Order: sequence, then C-alpha cells, then structure tokens
Amino acid sequence: MIRYGSALLSVLLSLAAIGGYIVFLRVPAVRNHPALYLVAFAIATAIAGVATWRAARWPNFVALGLSVALLILGGVFNFVLAKIPATPTVLRLGEPAPDFTLPDASGAPVSLASFRDRTPVVLVFYRGSW
Amino acid sequence: MLTELGDEGVQILTISPDPNEKSQELAQKLRARYRFLTDRDLAVTRRYGLLHAHGGHKGQDVARPTTVVLDRRGVVRWLQLADSIQVRPDPADVARAVRQLGS
Repeated sequence: MIRYGSALLSVLLSLAAIGGYIVFLRVPAVRNHPALYLVAFAIATAIAGVATWRAARWPNFVALGLSVALLILGGVFNFVLAKIPATPTVLRLGEPAPDFTLPDASGAPVSLASFRDRTPVVLVFYRGSW
Repeated sequence: MLTELGDEGVQILTISPDPNEKSQELAQKLRARYRFLTDRDLAVTRRYGLLHAHGGHKGQDVARPTTVVLDRRGVVRWLQLADSIQVRPDPADVARAVRQLGS
C-alpha cells in the first residue's frame, strides 16, 4: 500500500496559500507581501518533487504538476504582469505638491490650494474600477 | 481603506479616472473625510508623473497607485509609489505619517 500523504500535503499547501491570500487580502501584511504565495508554491513543489522521486505514481505527478504550474503562473504574475514601471514623478519630499483643480463626485471643482493653511491633505491616486 | 484617518483632522482626496458618485455615497456611509475627484483624461495624473501607460486590464492608461501626505503648507511629507499593482500602502503607516505632522 503506497501512501500519498505528501502529495495531499503539497496540494493542500497550494490551496491554503491561494485561499489565505484571497481571504486576507485586506490585511496589509498579507497584501503587501505577495511573494509569500510563491514561497508556499515552492515548498509545495519541493514536497511533491520528493514524493514523485520516491514513488513515480500518478497522485504524486498530479501534485507536482499542480504546484509547478502555480509556481510558474504566480511568478509570471508577481514579477512581470503586476510590475509597474518607474515613472518620473514630480513629487519630492520637502517640496510643495503642484496645484490642481478637479471636479468632485457632485461636479464641484476642488483645488488643492484651497486646503492650504487649513488642513493636512492625503492624496490617493488609484487605478479606478476594473 | 483609510477609515482610520476619519478623525485625524485631515482631508483625504482620492483621484482616479472614474466618475465617483457611488464611491462618495460609500464614503458618507463610512463617515470618512474622503472626497472623490475625477481626473477623467488623467491630465493631473500625467502632470504629477504618475501615469501607468497601458496598465489597465484592457490596456488603457491608469494611474500608478500613489499615496501622498501633505502638511498644511502643501509640502510633501510622506510618499509611497507602488511598484506592483498588488501592493497598497498600509493605512496604519499613512495615519502615522499624518500624526507626525503635528498641528
């Protein structure tokens, strides 16, 4: 009787990494360390690789194939697709931010300068809805 | 996202190409001091040097996610530019930067 505990462990580790990343996406420590899922996929690959080397049976091959595929997909996403090229920003610490005027949700114009000497401002540029 | 800053006596201005009526409704429910500004043609984003060309999921131009803390004089005191679309600033870091401005 051949046991497939290692193959199962490998698959569960991969699934836990995906599930954990999604569930805890709003936790900054998880969201801002996306390479953690790559570490989990790499460990899953190692476990499945050893299991396959010991017993070349299909459950081990499935576990190995899954973890390698996730490692490659995750790597391409993390290191290529998700990367943002450096931009020549005009923002410099210790220097004033350039003024602008933009409409708010009701269409009323809002200028950055209107907050000067009144309140600190946090500017958040974001990608917008997908 | 930044509801931690609601009571800090700070104005949060968010900037994106979207028309943001729904976002504004949400902010009012959260009672956060957000104002959602619409940079429809990304002119301000481009002027700030924060354009991520063809970075959208349909290949459209989007903003590079960026958070900037300005003091009362409008001077940049804290800055985080994303180098990955997966990463966002930790609201606790932003709140700390705002508190360190003093009054």
